[in-house]
Amino acid sequence: MATSLFPSATAAVEPPFLEWRTRLVRQRWRQVATGGTIALLVAITAWRCQVNLASFLLGIDKGVPIFGLFFPPDWASLPSMLKPMLVTLVLAMIATILGIVLSVPCALGASSNLAPTPIRLILRFFIALERGLPEVVQILILVAVFGLGVIPALIALSLSSIGMLAKLLADAIEEIDPNMLEAVAGTGATTIQVIRYAIIPHILPALLANGLFRFEFNVRAGVILGAIGGGGIGYIMRSDMLTLDYQAACMATLLTLSMVFATERLSDFLRARILDGGQMRRGRQRRSIAGAAAQ
Amino acid sequence: MLSVENIEVTLPNGKRLVDNISFTVARGEFVAILGSSGAGKSLTLRCIVGLTQPSHGNISILGETGKTYSTTNVDAKGLRRARRHIGLIFQGANLVKRLTVLENVMLGRLGFISPLRSCLIGFKDAEARDAMVALDRVKMAPFAARLAGSLSGGEMQRVSIARAIHQRPLIYLADEPISSLDPKNAEAIMGILQPLSRETPVVGAFHQPAMVAKYCTRAIGIRGGKVVYDGSPDLSPRQLENIYSGSDGDPIPMPALSEQTPIGPSPFFVQPASHQAPRDLGHGAPN
Repeated sequence: MATSLFPSATAAVEPPFLEWRTRLVRQRWRQVATGGTIALLVAITAWRCQVNLASFLLGIDKGVPIFGLFFPPDWASLPSMLKPMLVTLVLAMIATILGIVLSVPCALGASSNLAPTPIRLILRFFIALERGLPEVVQILILVAVFGLGVIPALIALSLSSIGMLAKLLADAIEEIDPNMLEAVAGTGATTIQVIRYAIIPHILPALLANGLFRFEFNVRAGVILGAIGGGGIGYIMRSDMLTLDYQAACMATLLTLSMVFATERLSDFLRARILDGGQMRRGRQRRSIAGAAAQ
Repeated sequence: MLSVENIEVTLPNGKRLVDNISFTVARGEFVAILGSSGAGKSLTLRCIVGLTQPSHGNISILGETGKTYSTTNVDAKGLRRARRHIGLIFQGANLVKRLTVLENVMLGRLGFISPLRSCLIGFKDAEARDAMVALDRVKMAPFAARLAGSLSGGEMQRVSIARAIHQRPLIYLADEPISSLDPKNAEAIMGILQPLSRETPVVGAFHQPAMVAKYCTRAIGIRGGKVVYDGSPDLSPRQLENIYSGSDGDPIPMPALSEQTPIGPSPFFVQPASHQAPRDLGHGAPN
């Protein structure tokens, strides 16, 4: 395109022309058009939804004093909150472990290079259904069945953990080099032996890393589900808010924050060790770059 | 002893990829199968292992005790029974990269271990010792604790040979074992395979006539799914020409490909260079 606009391109080109050509090639107008479109859409929505800066500022004006009611946090309520916090933490842990254990058979059955088509389609449908329903919707249904308490939250979290981990694992299994599977099967190994010695070693690091990631998610989701009726720290937080005990609610929030932060740090650390060439088990030297490449 | 009798592989559309191939391999032989890509070398080897079922023909392996194992017309159990007597060596080694080198070698004997034991308990110490002996034979014993994924291509290929040795098969099948290796490693691998073939016959698909002449005891030439040569590994240029000519019924039009190679870089690389030429001129002129 640029050469047709400047037929003399093959001859001497002065620096200003080069600059113009650069601008033409970079197609700045596209960026301008994109930015303009977004601005226009924002303006239209703001107008249609009657977004009003004045009411926003008024809200801040009203809200800041209420925000002040949260402080100082009610330290006296801390001991009574430790147990609910532990409930949420254990809930996330059990849900994650159940998810990790049960997602393996689901993933094996859902991968196209292992399972016969009918089984695979059924499992893929189940996984898609699980992933399509948010935990909040699941727990609303489950609370109707089991009543309030930890059990519906546990089931909802476990099911969605299975859904996510099985999907990721099934994709990981499908990416395994078929030649490698043939090489192991070629020694006369049975399908179970191929799974045990070729597939499991390959997916184990991904399973553990994703499982830790899911654990973080489950801690956070456990708080939300608790608020809806699943017990634990989320439930305490919500009831404190409803009884206008803002300082206790602030304590619960701080506790939740520290819990989430601690689990995230822990799982980051463990995940880094697992992805570090999967060598943690054998206590070998660290090979961060080569290990990541091999992964 | 391996005997391949009249095997045929026919695609659903009637195209015959392997056409009536027969040969026998006896003790002490190192047989090289030569042929251009798509001639049916790998397919023949796959048939012998039972990874592909031929549409016609018989393949059997005669054991020491006079027992025969067949990979054609058998059920899944019979196929596994036969496979554990075949040592496989692939072009890409195909190790389980997440297991240690020693574990990879021990995988060779999975077929002889009950599935229950291999899943619950794993391998025994005696098996690990045997595997170490096999590793030592290919001079990879110092690497036993390394993860297979951290090895180089040549090292992986040695380990995959150790895996086959540990299997204690009746025959070794090698599908282009040296095609992805540098000449030095290729020589080393052939140097391992040659003494191996004196105890247990080796059948391999190769692309390097010089290597075949140097190490093998016999060559089989396949063209268009048919055996066109069977005899001394020291082939004359004329005989090689005959094997690689790929004229009749070759599924892949080989002449077109081989015509392009002498030109040098592929057209894909040539084109960007010609685009760049005028721009370089433009830059060069003001200076």
